[in-house]
Amino acid sequence: MADDKTPAAPATDNPYTQTYTVQSGDTLSKIAQKYYGDSSLYTKIFEANRDQLKDPNRIFPGQKLRIP
Amino acid sequence: MKKLSVWLLATLVAFALAGCSTQKGPAEQAVASADAALAAVRDAAQKYAPEQLGAVEAQVQSLKDSLAQGDYKGVLAAAPAVSSAISSLKDAATAKQADAEAALAKAKDAWGPISADVPKMVDAIQSRVDILSKSHHLPHGVTKDSLAAAQSGLSSMKSTWSDASNAASSGDYTTAMSKAQSVKDQATQIMQSLGMSSS
Repeated sequence: MADDKTPAAPATDNPYTQTYTVQSGDTLSKIAQKYYGDSSLYTKIFEANRDQLKDPNRIFPGQKLRIP
Repeated sequence: MKKLSVWLLATLVAFALAGCSTQKGPAEQAVASADAALAAVRDAAQKYAPEQLGAVEAQVQSLKDSLAQGDYKGVLAAAPAVSSAISSLKDAATAKQADAEAALAKAKDAWGPISADVPKMVDAIQSRVDILSKSHHLPHGVTKDSLAAAQSGLSSMKSTWSDASNAASSGDYTTAMSKAQSVKDQATQIMQSLGMSSS
Protein backbone atom coordinates (compact mmCIF):
# COMPACT_ATOMS: atom_id res chain seq x y z
CA MET A 1 0.00 0.00 0.00
CA ALA A 2 1.41 3.35 -0.99
CA ASP A 3 2.60 5.59 1.77
CA ASP A 4 5.50 8.00 2.23
CA LYS A 5 7.95 5.10 2.49
CA THR A 6 6.46 2.45 0.20
CA PRO A 7 5.69 3.28 -3.44
CA ALA A 8 2.40 2.10 -4.91
CA ALA A 9 2.39 -1.02 -7.04
CA PRO A 10 2.52 0.04 -10.70
CA ALA A 11 -0.71 -0.37 -12.67
CA THR A 12 0.99 -3.08 -14.73
CA ASP A 13 1.31 -5.29 -11.67
CA ASN A 14 -2.04 -4.58 -10.07
CA PRO A 15 -4.88 -7.03 -10.76
CA TYR A 16 -7.36 -4.51 -9.35
CA THR A 17 -6.54 -1.85 -11.92
CA GLN A 18 -9.58 -1.48 -14.16
CA THR A 19 -9.25 -2.66 -17.75
CA TYR A 20 -11.07 -1.78 -20.95
CA THR A 21 -11.18 -3.61 -24.25
CA VAL A 22 -10.84 -1.20 -27.16
CA GLN A 23 -13.83 -1.05 -29.52
CA SER A 24 -13.92 0.08 -33.11
CA GLY A 25 -13.84 3.90 -33.29
CA ASP A 26 -12.31 4.37 -29.85
CA THR A 27 -9.55 6.86 -29.13
CA LEU A 28 -7.64 7.37 -25.92
CA SER A 29 -9.37 10.74 -25.57
CA LYS A 30 -12.80 9.14 -25.83
CA ILE A 31 -11.82 6.48 -23.32
CA ALA A 32 -10.47 9.15 -20.94
CA GLN A 33 -13.72 11.09 -21.33
CA LYS A 34 -15.67 7.96 -20.40
CA TYR A 35 -13.67 7.01 -17.33
CA TYR A 36 -12.38 10.36 -16.10
CA GLY A 37 -14.90 12.84 -17.44
CA ASP A 38 -12.00 14.68 -19.05
CA SER A 39 -10.52 13.76 -22.44
CA SER A 40 -7.32 15.66 -21.71
CA LEU A 41 -6.40 13.03 -19.16
CA TYR A 42 -5.78 10.48 -21.94
CA THR A 43 -2.08 10.73 -21.06
CA LYS A 44 -2.76 8.80 -17.87
CA ILE A 45 -4.06 5.87 -19.90
CA PHE A 46 -1.17 6.11 -22.35
CA GLU A 47 1.42 6.10 -19.55
CA ALA A 48 -0.21 3.09 -17.90
CA ASN A 49 -0.02 1.13 -21.18
CA ARG A 50 3.43 2.04 -22.50
CA ASP A 51 4.23 -1.68 -22.68
CA GLN A 52 1.73 -2.07 -25.52
CA LEU A 53 1.23 1.46 -26.88
CA LYS A 54 3.99 3.26 -28.77
CA ASP A 55 1.79 6.06 -30.06
CA PRO A 56 -1.25 7.45 -28.16
CA ASN A 57 -3.02 7.94 -31.49
CA ARG A 58 -2.71 4.31 -32.50
CA ILE A 59 -4.95 1.91 -30.66
CA PHE A 60 -6.73 -1.11 -32.08
CA PRO A 61 -9.98 -2.94 -31.37
CA GLY A 62 -9.42 -5.82 -29.00
CA GLN A 63 -6.53 -4.24 -27.16
CA LYS A 64 -6.98 -4.57 -23.42
CA LEU A 65 -5.97 -1.30 -21.83
CA ARG A 66 -5.35 -0.57 -18.15
CA ILE A 67 -7.41 2.33 -16.84
CA PRO A 68 -5.58 3.63 -13.75
CA MET B 1 -26.59 -43.82 89.43
CA LYS B 2 -25.35 -40.31 88.95
CA LYS B 3 -21.75 -41.56 88.63
CA LEU B 4 -22.91 -44.08 86.02
CA SER B 5 -24.66 -41.30 84.01
CA VAL B 6 -21.58 -39.15 84.14
CA TRP B 7 -19.37 -42.03 83.03
CA LEU B 8 -21.82 -42.87 80.26
CA LEU B 9 -21.89 -39.29 79.07
CA ALA B 10 -18.12 -39.02 79.17
CA THR B 11 -17.80 -42.23 77.16
CA LEU B 12 -20.27 -40.98 74.54
CA VAL B 13 -18.38 -37.70 74.18
CA ALA B 14 -15.09 -39.56 73.85
CA PHE B 15 -16.55 -41.72 71.07
CA ALA B 16 -17.92 -38.63 69.30
CA LEU B 17 -14.57 -36.87 69.49
CA ALA B 18 -12.78 -39.95 68.19
CA GLY B 19 -15.18 -40.11 65.25
CA CYS B 20 -14.57 -36.49 64.41
CA SER B 21 -10.81 -36.86 64.57
CA THR B 22 -10.88 -39.85 62.22
CA GLN B 23 -12.73 -37.68 59.68
CA LYS B 24 -10.32 -34.75 60.01
CA GLY B 25 -7.51 -36.34 58.01
CA PRO B 26 -9.67 -37.35 55.06
CA ALA B 27 -11.39 -33.94 55.09
CA GLU B 28 -8.04 -32.14 55.00
CA GLN B 29 -6.93 -34.41 52.17
CA ALA B 30 -10.13 -33.70 50.24
CA VAL B 31 -9.59 -29.94 50.49
CA ALA B 32 -5.92 -30.24 49.54
CA SER B 33 -6.83 -32.35 46.51
CA ALA B 34 -9.49 -29.89 45.37
CA ASP B 35 -7.07 -27.00 45.79
CA ALA B 36 -4.37 -28.73 43.78
CA ALA B 37 -6.78 -29.77 41.02
CA LEU B 38 -8.09 -26.22 40.71
CA ALA B 39 -4.59 -24.75 40.64
CA ALA B 40 -3.73 -27.04 37.73
CA VAL B 41 -6.54 -25.65 35.54
CA ARG B 42 -6.72 -22.09 36.81
CA ASP B 43 -4.64 -20.38 34.07
CA ALA B 44 -6.54 -21.96 31.19
CA ALA B 45 -9.88 -21.48 32.98
CA GLN B 46 -9.12 -17.81 33.64
CA LYS B 47 -8.59 -17.25 29.94
CA TYR B 48 -11.27 -19.47 28.42
CA ALA B 49 -13.97 -20.04 31.11
CA PRO B 50 -13.69 -17.20 33.63
CA GLU B 51 -17.29 -17.26 34.81
CA GLN B 52 -17.28 -20.98 35.42
CA LEU B 53 -13.94 -20.60 37.25
CA GLY B 54 -15.51 -18.07 39.60
CA ALA B 55 -18.29 -20.47 40.54
CA VAL B 56 -15.88 -23.35 41.15
CA GLU B 57 -13.57 -21.15 43.23
CA ALA B 58 -16.57 -20.31 45.41
CA GLN B 59 -17.27 -24.01 45.90
CA VAL B 60 -13.66 -24.73 46.92
CA GLN B 61 -13.69 -21.80 49.33
CA SER B 62 -16.87 -23.15 50.89
CA LEU B 63 -15.09 -26.47 51.41
CA LYS B 64 -12.19 -24.68 53.11
CA ASP B 65 -14.59 -22.74 55.32
CA SER B 66 -16.26 -25.96 56.42
CA LEU B 67 -12.86 -27.48 57.21
CA ALA B 68 -11.91 -24.41 59.27
CA GLN B 69 -15.12 -24.75 61.22
CA GLY B 70 -14.40 -28.41 61.96
CA ASP B 71 -17.32 -29.64 59.87
CA TYR B 72 -15.35 -32.62 58.54
CA LYS B 73 -18.49 -34.56 57.76
CA GLY B 74 -19.76 -31.65 55.68
CA VAL B 75 -16.44 -31.41 53.83
CA LEU B 76 -16.47 -35.10 52.97
CA ALA B 77 -20.12 -34.91 51.85
CA ALA B 78 -19.47 -31.92 49.55
CA ALA B 79 -16.07 -32.97 48.19
CA PRO B 80 -17.30 -35.27 45.38
CA ALA B 81 -19.47 -32.53 43.87
CA VAL B 82 -16.59 -30.05 44.03
CA SER B 83 -14.29 -32.57 42.36
CA SER B 84 -16.84 -33.06 39.60
CA ALA B 85 -17.16 -29.30 39.13
CA ILE B 86 -13.40 -28.93 38.75
CA SER B 87 -13.38 -31.74 36.20
CA SER B 88 -16.15 -30.02 34.20
CA LEU B 89 -14.25 -26.75 34.37
CA LYS B 90 -11.14 -28.42 32.98
CA ASP B 91 -13.15 -29.96 30.12
CA ALA B 92 -14.80 -26.62 29.28
CA ALA B 93 -11.51 -24.69 29.30
CA THR B 94 -9.80 -27.36 27.18
CA ALA B 95 -12.61 -27.35 24.62
CA LYS B 96 -12.71 -23.57 24.36
CA GLN B 97 -8.93 -23.39 24.08
CA ALA B 98 -9.05 -25.86 21.21
CA ASP B 99 -11.74 -23.78 19.47
CA ALA B 100 -9.73 -20.59 19.93
CA GLU B 101 -6.58 -22.21 18.56
CA ALA B 102 -8.46 -23.58 15.53
CA ALA B 103 -9.92 -20.14 14.83
CA LEU B 104 -6.48 -18.58 15.10
CA ALA B 105 -4.99 -21.12 12.68
CA LYS B 106 -7.80 -20.44 10.20
CA ALA B 107 -7.26 -16.70 10.47
CA LYS B 108 -3.53 -17.14 9.96
CA ASP B 109 -4.15 -19.13 6.77
CA ALA B 110 -6.54 -16.48 5.45
CA TRP B 111 -4.13 -13.64 6.21
CA GLY B 112 -1.69 -14.50 3.41
CA PRO B 113 -4.07 -13.97 0.46
CA ILE B 114 -5.85 -10.96 1.91
CA SER B 115 -2.59 -9.24 2.84
CA ALA B 116 -1.62 -9.50 -0.83
CA ASP B 117 -5.00 -8.32 -2.19
CA VAL B 118 -6.02 -5.41 -0.03
CA PRO B 119 -2.98 -3.17 -0.54
CA LYS B 120 -3.42 -3.54 -4.30
CA MET B 121 -7.10 -2.62 -4.07
CA VAL B 122 -6.23 0.48 -2.11
CA ASP B 123 -3.45 1.41 -4.56
CA ALA B 124 -5.89 1.11 -7.47
CA ILE B 125 -8.39 3.33 -5.70
CA GLN B 126 -5.71 5.87 -4.82
CA SER B 127 -4.65 6.07 -8.45
CA ARG B 128 -8.19 6.64 -9.65
CA VAL B 129 -8.94 9.23 -6.98
CA ASP B 130 -5.73 11.10 -7.83
CA ILE B 131 -6.72 11.24 -11.52
CA LEU B 132 -10.34 12.19 -10.88
CA SER B 133 -9.18 14.98 -8.59
CA LYS B 134 -7.49 16.54 -11.64
CA SER B 135 -10.51 16.11 -13.87
CA HIS B 136 -12.51 19.15 -14.97
CA HIS B 137 -15.69 17.13 -14.88
CA LEU B 138 -16.49 13.83 -13.25
CA PRO B 139 -17.43 10.79 -15.37
CA HIS B 140 -20.98 9.58 -15.64
CA GLY B 141 -22.06 7.84 -12.44
CA VAL B 142 -19.46 9.49 -10.20
CA THR B 143 -20.57 12.43 -8.07
CA LYS B 144 -18.60 14.95 -6.03
CA ASP B 145 -19.95 13.23 -2.92
CA SER B 146 -18.80 9.79 -4.02
CA LEU B 147 -15.34 11.17 -4.86
CA ALA B 148 -15.15 12.90 -1.48
CA ALA B 149 -16.27 9.70 0.22
CA ALA B 150 -13.58 7.78 -1.65
CA GLN B 151 -10.93 10.27 -0.51
CA SER B 152 -11.90 10.03 3.15
CA GLY B 153 -12.36 6.28 2.76
CA LEU B 154 -8.75 5.97 1.59
CA SER B 155 -7.57 7.59 4.79
CA SER B 156 -9.60 5.31 7.04
CA MET B 157 -8.67 2.22 5.04
CA LYS B 158 -4.96 2.95 5.35
CA SER B 159 -5.33 3.49 9.09
CA THR B 160 -7.30 0.28 9.61
CA TRP B 161 -4.90 -1.64 7.39
CA SER B 162 -2.00 -0.43 9.51
CA ASP B 163 -3.80 -1.75 12.60
CA ALA B 164 -4.46 -5.06 10.85
CA SER B 165 -0.79 -5.41 9.88
CA ASN B 166 0.35 -4.63 13.42
CA ALA B 167 -2.04 -7.22 14.82
CA ALA B 168 -0.73 -9.82 12.38
CA SER B 169 2.86 -8.96 13.30
CA SER B 170 2.08 -9.65 16.94
CA GLY B 171 0.41 -12.97 16.09
CA ASP B 172 -3.17 -11.80 16.65
CA TYR B 173 -4.45 -13.07 13.31
CA THR B 174 -8.05 -13.09 14.49
CA THR B 175 -8.02 -9.33 15.00
CA ALA B 176 -5.92 -8.86 11.86
CA MET B 177 -8.43 -10.73 9.70
CA SER B 178 -11.40 -8.90 11.16
CA LYS B 179 -9.82 -5.55 10.32
CA ALA B 180 -8.54 -6.73 6.95
CA GLN B 181 -11.96 -7.92 5.90
CA SER B 182 -13.53 -4.59 6.84
CA VAL B 183 -10.96 -2.78 4.70
CA LYS B 184 -11.59 -5.14 1.79
CA ASP B 185 -15.35 -4.64 2.06
CA GLN B 186 -14.92 -0.87 2.14
CA ALA B 187 -12.53 -0.97 -0.83
CA THR B 188 -14.99 -3.05 -2.84
CA GLN B 189 -17.75 -0.57 -2.14
CA ILE B 190 -15.59 2.43 -3.10
CA MET B 191 -14.46 0.76 -6.31
CA GLN B 192 -18.10 0.24 -7.25
CA SER B 193 -18.94 3.87 -6.46
CA LEU B 194 -16.12 5.05 -8.73
CA GLY B 195 -17.20 2.76 -11.56
CA MET B 196 -14.01 0.72 -11.40
CA SER B 197 -15.30 -2.58 -12.78
CA SER B 198 -13.57 -3.91 -15.89
CA SER B 199 -15.19 -4.30 -19.31
